Amino acid sequence: MLEISNISKTFNPGTPNEVRALRNVNLKLEESSFVIIIGTNGSGKTTLLNAVAGTFFVDSGAIRLAGRAITRWPEHRRAKMIGRVFQNPFSGTAPNMSIAENLALASRRGQHRGLGWALQPNFRRELRDRVRSLDMGLEDRVDNAIGSLSGGQRQALTLLMATWQKPELLLLDEHTAALDPKSADQVIRFSDEIIAREKLTTFMVTHSMHQAVNLGNRIIMMHRGQVVHDLTGAERQRARVDDLLARFEEIRRREQLDAGAAEMLRRNYI
Amino acid sequence: MNLLIGAVTIGLILSLLALGVYLSFRIFNFPDITAEGSITMGASIAAVLLVKGMNPLLATLVAFCGGMLAGATTGVLHTKFKIHGLLSGILVMTALYSVNLHIMGKSNVPLLTEKTLATYADNIGQKFAGAGPLNILGWEVGVNDASVLIASGVGIALIGGLLYFFFRTNLGTSMRATGDNQQMIRALGVNVENMIILGLALSNGLIALSGALLAQYQGFADVQMGIGMVVWGLASVIIGESLVGSTSLGLLITGTIMGSVSFRLLVAIALRWGLNPNDLKLITAVFVFVALVLPGFVRKLKRKPAAYA
Repeated sequence: MLEISNISKTFNPGTPNEVRALRNVNLKLEESSFVIIIGTNGSGKTTLLNAVAGTFFVDSGAIRLAGRAITRWPEHRRAKMIGRVFQNPFSGTAPNMSIAENLALASRRGQHRGLGWALQPNFRRELRDRVRSLDMGLEDRVDNAIGSLSGGQRQALTLLMATWQKPELLLLDEHTAALDPKSADQVIRFSDEIIAREKLTTFMVTHSMHQAVNLGNRIIMMHRGQVVHDLTGAERQRARVDDLLARFEEIRRREQLDAGAAEMLRRNYI
Repeated sequence: MNLLIGAVTIGLILSLLALGVYLSFRIFNFPDITAEGSITMGASIAAVLLVKGMNPLLATLVAFCGGMLAGATTGVLHTKFKIHGLLSGILVMTALYSVNLHIMGKSNVPLLTEKTLATYADNIGQKFAGAGPLNILGWEVGVNDASVLIASGVGIALIGGLLYFFFRTNLGTSMRATGDNQQMIRALGVNVENMIILGLALSNGLIALSGALLAQYQGFADVQMGIGMVVWGLASVIIGESLVGSTSLGLLITGTIMGSVSFRLLVAIALRWGLNPNDLKLITAVFVFVALVLPGFVRKLKRKPAAYA
């Protein structure tokens, strides 16, 4: 479904701020798989997601989605196949436009936008039904500006927008990190529900180990721009929060060892 | 009375300028200075074509297209060549000064005997009301003034309505969303660059249309007539926003038209009271400055007492 072969990305190359965000990442996602990415801060999780979404072009390597080479496709062209929910609840919706208008925009993701009426009567009916399924009481407020809603409500609507037309790939970038626990829970439940119902191929970044072990069918752990662990099948089934934390601890210890080794080399040779 | 009618008519004609400025400044959040060149461009294209004997409606339409071209150029400079928005506008505006001189061949083209939209309106008016002056509420009003006023009102209402409906279409909502949240609309598959080019083209088309109508109303096109127009448009938009005090699209379009008319009325009254016309642009600039700063200042004042409480 999604094939990432050997991609690398360096930000600000040749400057003191140089960051090697992705180093020869290889990854293959099966159709309808729900993959969770975890990792330390700055490990390249979000960068990997953005590389797939087309926020920037990778320096080397190739990305294929649903049989098409999309490596050089601009972001808006990939959007035809990819639904996205961002970490920031403000990023996914147009605040000064109504709920209905936002959803109407989403309903034509990647399609031609001509002089047809944006809010057709039959679209309005479908809209109310789908918004009701969120169970947030928003179906009676579809003409209110989205800016007046809470972060959780906006994030749930963004999810609805991203999946209005079934995407080949759904990208969730820590989409509950900025929400209060109750809203986060609600949004996660709704995500899980819609992913299961539509059998969506999903790529989700999270900081929450609970979400990592309770959702999806594969866990990928990243560190320093590389995939360091890839848990599938029985290994994924057995994984508990403590196991994941242990693996983080292991990475941290190895890191310290590296730092210690460097210190020793410095003392001995300089 | 004639003074008032004149002010309202110019206000209506310049409301197209205000709508164009509203589109670039408010909807796209793009400080587009091209307006100063494109309004003159609209006027010069219309004037020259009218002198050549072209049908006024067609000449006005060509002027609209000329403005669109100017706006699209600014959009291309900004999006494809990554030049700062303000600078792209300044570049195109400066270039248009020469272009406009070339179009007109001189710095001023008078329209004395040519058939214009204004004479069309006059002819229609005379068919209905005869040639003599009308008596409205005790004031004597020339038939030509009244018919031009009514024609402008109808025309502007029509264009305002079209604009409103356009912003409700799939294309129009994408355009508004581009100004509201670029990241979101890109993730929904819209080419943001093309949207900005199209939006600036539409904005400057409206502004050129305003220039074409202004030239036909006042009877000449002048290469200097665009100076200060962006600030005038902005003043109208700000007055309009405070008049309707709402964020709904239809009301904002109506408000912008009302703002333009009120602004011209204010100017006419101020001039009547003996304001030196040379000071007009200074006062307008100060007005826009105050209107931009005041809301934040008032909020600060309101917050201060709360800090002590």
